[in-house]
Amino acid sequence: MMRELRFMLRDKAVWVWLSLAFVFSSAAVSLGINEVRQQHTEISEQKQHDQVEREVTLAQQADWGSAAYYTFHITYNPPSGFAYAAIGQRDVSPWKHRIRMLALEGQIYETDANNPDFALIGRFDFAFIASLIAPLLVVLLLFDLRSGEQVAGRLRLIEASAINPQRLWWMRAGLRSGALVIALCVPVIVGGLISGAAATTLVLSVIAVCLYLLFWTALTLYLTPATRTGAYNLTVMLGIWLLLCAVMPATLTQVIERAVPLPDGGAIVLTQREAVNDAWDLSREATYEPFLARHPEWSGDTAWDERDGFEWKWYYAFQQVGDQTAEPLSQDYRNGQARRDDLARWSSLISPATLLQRTMEQLADTDMRSAIAYDQSVRDFHANLRAWYYPRLFKHDEFSAEHALENIPMYLPSTKAPAT
Amino acid sequence: MSSAVRIATEEWRQWLRSRLAVLSLIVFTILLLFTTVLTTLDAQEARHERLHQQVQAEETFLAQPDRHPHRMVHYGHYVFRTPPPLAMFDPGVDTVTGQSLFLEGHRQNSAMFADARAEARTGGFGALTPAKLYHLFLPLLIIALGHGVILREREARTLGPLLSQGVSGVHLYRGKLLALGGLIGLLSLPALFSSIAASVLGESLLASTMLYLGNLLYLGIWTALTLLVSIATRTRGVALGVLSAVWVLTVLVVPRIGVTSASATLPTEGKILTDMRMNDDLRKLGDGHNAADPAFNKLRADTLAKYNVDSLEALPVNFRGIVASTSEKELTETLNAYAEKRMQRERAQASHLAAFGWLSPYLAIGGASRNLAGTDLETHHRFLREAEVVRLDFVQGLNQAHIEKLSYIDDINRNNGEEGSKRARVDASTWQVLSDFRFTPDSAQERLSRATTKLTSLALWFVALLGIGLTAARRLTP
Repeated sequence: MMRELRFMLRDKAVWVWLSLAFVFSSAAVSLGINEVRQQHTEISEQKQHDQVEREVTLAQQADWGSAAYYTFHITYNPPSGFAYAAIGQRDVSPWKHRIRMLALEGQIYETDANNPDFALIGRFDFAFIASLIAPLLVVLLLFDLRSGEQVAGRLRLIEASAINPQRLWWMRAGLRSGALVIALCVPVIVGGLISGAAATTLVLSVIAVCLYLLFWTALTLYLTPATRTGAYNLTVMLGIWLLLCAVMPATLTQVIERAVPLPDGGAIVLTQREAVNDAWDLSREATYEPFLARHPEWSGDTAWDERDGFEWKWYYAFQQVGDQTAEPLSQDYRNGQARRDDLARWSSLISPATLLQRTMEQLADTDMRSAIAYDQSVRDFHANLRAWYYPRLFKHDEFSAEHALENIPMYLPSTKAPAT
Repeated sequence: MSSAVRIATEEWRQWLRSRLAVLSLIVFTILLLFTTVLTTLDAQEARHERLHQQVQAEETFLAQPDRHPHRMVHYGHYVFRTPPPLAMFDPGVDTVTGQSLFLEGHRQNSAMFADARAEARTGGFGALTPAKLYHLFLPLLIIALGHGVILREREARTLGPLLSQGVSGVHLYRGKLLALGGLIGLLSLPALFSSIAASVLGESLLASTMLYLGNLLYLGIWTALTLLVSIATRTRGVALGVLSAVWVLTVLVVPRIGVTSASATLPTEGKILTDMRMNDDLRKLGDGHNAADPAFNKLRADTLAKYNVDSLEALPVNFRGIVASTSEKELTETLNAYAEKRMQRERAQASHLAAFGWLSPYLAIGGASRNLAGTDLETHHRFLREAEVVRLDFVQGLNQAHIEKLSYIDDINRNNGEEGSKRARVDASTWQVLSDFRFTPDSAQERLSRATTKLTSLALWFVALLGIGLTAARRLTP
C-alpha cells in the first residue's frame, strides 16, 4: 500500500487534479464564509435601525391604531454555522422581512433579492464543488487507471503479479479518491472551525461527500475497462457525468413542476388586495362577521363611536379578513411548495447529485424546509403582534409609548445558529 | 473535390462509424429538440398569460366604482413584464426576478413571485433552456467528437503518409475545421429555428440573427480550441484531459468566481436596509396623509398666499390633495434616488462580472445572449423604471383629481357617517388617468450595442485560436 501511495504521488496529473480540488474548495469555503459574514452584518445593522426606528415612531403616536400602522418589525433567518458550505435557497427565497400589522399576505412575498445575474449563474459554494465538480475530478483521476497501464504495456504484468487484481485496482482508485476527499474536505473543516459549525454537521457532511465520491469511484471503475482506450473511457464518463449531474436533475425539476402546479402567486396578493379595499365600501357587519368567527372574544367590543367615522379596530379587523380571504390560495401555494420539496426529496433517491446537494443544504439549514419554517415563523410572529394589539385596540386602552416599547413582541429567530 | 472537403467527408465517415459518436449525437439532438420545444411552449404561454393578466388588471382598475381618489391610490395597480419573443431561446433573468409588480402610492415594491423561489430543488444546473444547452454543454460534445480529429491520424500513424503525400498541415487543418464546422452547423439548427420563430413573432431580424451568429461564434471558439489541442498534444487521453480542464475552468469555475467576487467587492445592501436608511431621510418630508403635519406648514402658508385667502376652507382647491400630491412628488424623488443608486450598483456588479468574460467565453456569450434576447438585467431595470413612470402617473393623476374634483369641506367630513362618506367621492371616470402598459424590449440596435463588447471578445478569442491553430498546423510534423 505504501508502494501504491508512492506511485500515486509520483504521478504529475494526480497532483494537478488534487491541487485544483484543494484550491477550489478553499476558495469556495472562504467566499462562503465572507458571504455569511456579510449576511450577519446586514442582520445586525437592520436590528439596530429597527430599534431606533421603533423608538422614534412610537414616541410620535397618540393611539394604538397609528402605533400599529407606523411601527415596522424586522424578522430574519440568520445563516446557520454551516451555511458557508451551501448558500442554497437563501439566494432565491427571502430570509428577512420588515412587516407591520397590516394584512400579511401583502407583505410576506416581498423578496429582498440579490442581483438576478448572480442567481442565474450560480454560486461557487462548497455544495457546488462537491456535487458537480468533484465527480468530474474523480473521473479525471481514474479514467486512465487501467487503460493507461494497458497502453504502457504493464497491465498483464501488474494483474499477474497481484494476488487479487480486483483488489489492487480498488486500492489504487481508493487512494486517489481518498486523497481527493481530503483535498476537498480539509478547507471545509477548517472553515467549520472558524465559523463555529457543529462537529456532527461537519462529520455528516464529510461522510456524505465520501459516500458520494465512493459511488463515482465505483461507477468509474466499472465503466472504464482496460479493453478500451483512455480517450474512449473519458468520453463515456463525461457523458455519464452530464446525464447524472445536469440532465437528470433538470428533468426531475421539470417533471415535478408539471406534476405539482402552484396557484398563481399574483392571484394571492390580488385576492387580498380586493378584500381589503372592498371592506371600505361594505357594511361594518360584513367585516366583523368573518372576523368574529375567528375572534369571538371581541364580539362585545365592536361598538362604533359615531362622532368619529373611523375606528382602528375595524381597520385592522378588515386587514385580517383580507388575510382570511386569501388564506386558501396562500395555503395552496405553501402546500404546493412543500409537496414539490417532498417529491424532490424522494426523487433524489434516483439522482445522486440531487441527493448530495440536498443533504448539504439540509445540513446547512438552507433548504426549502428551512425557508418554509422561516415563512411560518414570520406568520406566527405576525399573529402574536395581532394578539398583542387587539386587546389594546378593542378595549380602547390609553396609549403609552413606554409601555409599548417595553412590551411589544419582538421577533426571535428559532435557530440552531450560534450568535454572532 | 477540394482536399478540405475530402478530408471533412472522411472525418464524418469516421464519426458515423463510431457507436459512441453516433450515440452522443443522437442524445444531444434529442435534448436540443426537447428543450427547444418545451422552452418555446413555456415562453409562448407566459406571453399570452401575462398579456391577459395585464389587460385584466387595467379593466379591473377602470371598473372600480365612485370612490375617494386616495382610496384608489392605495388600491393600486399591477404591471406585468411580457417576455420578449427570444425568451424562447434564453429566458434569462425572467425566472429569478419575478414578472409582476404591484404599483401603489407611497411605495416602490419589488417584483414578486419569482419562479425560482418555488422551484423543486434538485441540484444540478437548474431547468434546461436552449441557451444553457448551447453555452454549457454543447462544448462538451465538440470536445468529445473533435479532440481526436488530428490525433487519430497521429495515433493510427496515418499522419506521416498524409503529410508526405503533399497534404500540408494547413490543408489538413482546413479539412478538419470544415468537418467540425459542419457538425456545429447541424447542431445549431434548433437555435436557427428559435431565431426564425422569434422573428415570425415580431422580433427584429437583426437581434435574432445576431443571437444565432453569436452562438455560432461561441461554438466556433470551442471548435478552434479543440483543433488546436488536437494538434498540440501527443495522445488523446492528454488532449481530452486538457480540454475538459479548460471546460471546467471557463464554464463552471470562472463565471461563478466572477459572481462571488462581484458580490464580495461590490456588496449590495438589501432593499430592507436601504428602506430603513431612506426612512431617516423620509421622516423629514412629513406624512402625506396628515395635512396638519408641521412639515407642511410652509406649503400651507404658500398655498393660502397664492390664492389670497386666509383659511383652507376658502381655497378653491382641496389642500389635502395638494399635500398628497406634493408629498408623493418629494417621496418619489427620494425613492428614485435610492432605486437608481441600487440599479447603478447592480450595473457596476454586472460590468465587474462582464470583465471576467475576457477569461471565459461562456460568460461573454451568456451575457451577449441575454442582451440580445432582451432578458438581461438592463431590461429588468427598464421594466422597473417604466413601471415607476406608470405608478407616478396614475398616483399623481388621482391626486390631481383629489385637488380639483373633491372639495376640502367634503373631504374632511369623509368619515362623518354614511352621507359624508358618499359626498367624499369622485366619479369613476377619473380612473381613466391610468395609462396602458405593454412592456417591450429595447430596440435591436440598443440591445446589440450592449452586447458589442462581449461579441468582440468572442470574435477575438475565435480569431486568436484560429491563428494559433493555423500556425501550429503549418509546423505539423508526424
